[in-house]
Amino acid sequence: MHELGVLNSMVHTIERIVKEQNVTEVSKLVIEVGELSGMVPRYLEQSWPAASYKTFMENTELELIVIPGIVKCKGCGRVFNAVYSDLSCPDCGCRDMEILEGDDMIIKEIVCS
Amino acid sequence: MKDFKVLEIKTSVFADNNIQAGKLREELKEKKVFLLNLMSSPGAGKTTTLVGTINALKNDLKIGVMEADIDSDVDTRTISQTGAKAIQLHTGGMCHLDAQMTRQGLEGLDPDGLDVVILENVGNLVCPAEFDTGAVKNAMILSVPEGDDKPLKYPLMFSICDVVLINKMDVLPYFNFDLEKCKENIRLRNPNAIIIPISALKEEGLKEWTDWLHNAVISWCE
Ligand SMILES: Nc1nc2c(ncn2[C@@H]2O[C@H](COP(=O)(O)OP(=O)(O)O)[C@@H](O)[C@H]2O)c(=O)[nH]1
Ligand SMILES: [Mg+2]
Ligand SMILES: [Zn+2]
Repeated sequence: MHELGVLNSMVHTIERIVKEQNVTEVSKLVIEVGELSGMVPRYLEQSWPAASYKTFMENTELELIVIPGIVKCKGCGRVFNAVYSDLSCPDCGCRDMEILEGDDMIIKEIVCS
Repeated sequence: MKDFKVLEIKTSVFADNNIQAGKLREELKEKKVFLLNLMSSPGAGKTTTLVGTINALKNDLKIGVMEADIDSDVDTRTISQTGAKAIQLHTGGMCHLDAQMTRQGLEGLDPDGLDVVILENVGNLVCPAEFDTGAVKNAMILSVPEGDDKPLKYPLMFSICDVVLINKMDVLPYFNFDLEKCKENIRLRNPNAIIIPISALKEEGLKEWTDWLHNAVISWCE
């Protein structure tokens, strides 16, 4: 599953960060998941136990914050949530849009204890 | 009470992979080896295109291939018949390759003496787009039966590709596929992508593609 691979990669990223900060225990991760990131929050939650298994984050809680997928129509300038509009502008039907927010998956906070 | 500390970092979850990929690219530059990452949906024609590409270039370039499409060595055998050095990577069911797995694959292939290594990535348009493999260039194949609106549905994949091959042009008359519309949709996602219609099966249109690859390899290795 896609989400498992992404979380594995995230574990490596965090491992490097906490080493730099001389931290050994992480009690909670706060992750921002964009609606246009291709990641499904429910699958991320389900994959977390497997991704963290036998790593230093085995007991770490995963908190997800969903970021809406906001785009701007390049035709008429309307700003809207792309997830509910089937890839085209609800006003002018244009399919060319600029993503303003929600196409990323970002580590926001690492809570250490 | 224990110390309690919150690191506010705002880093991409892919940060570590991106660093690894950058390192791999630097090493490839030093070794003068060009790595191409070839992606597509399953069955779009990666292996068939590779065979034609190798046959066209094998007198000019030393080519190696890493097959990562879900554990089967059929493709590796097909490629080996062209005389190119080929290995099968075992991805253990993963939906993509990351930079670390690509590095391990390269070690297995031993690219010394090769000019170009082509990675046939796992057949999938979502996950491979998110993981930088360390490749110098990315190419993808979109085949006619998949439809001309694919670029709208998989924007990230199209935005990271240097070249988009539109394959199976021989079956165009049988599908509701508008080539101009498709090119327009690709350009919406990536104005700089080079778009080349081909038929890998009939070996048509391949020259523009192999010329592009040949030139890209030469300018990387000089
Ligand atoms: N009609 C037609 N079929 C093709 C073409 N290229 C590949 N195919 C067929 O599509 C199927 C999948 O091709 P393959 O190269 O194995 O795709 P891969 O899974 O992306 O490596 C095979 O049956 C090929 O013969 C083409 O240009 N035209
Ligand atoms: Mg194949
Ligand atoms: Zn509009």
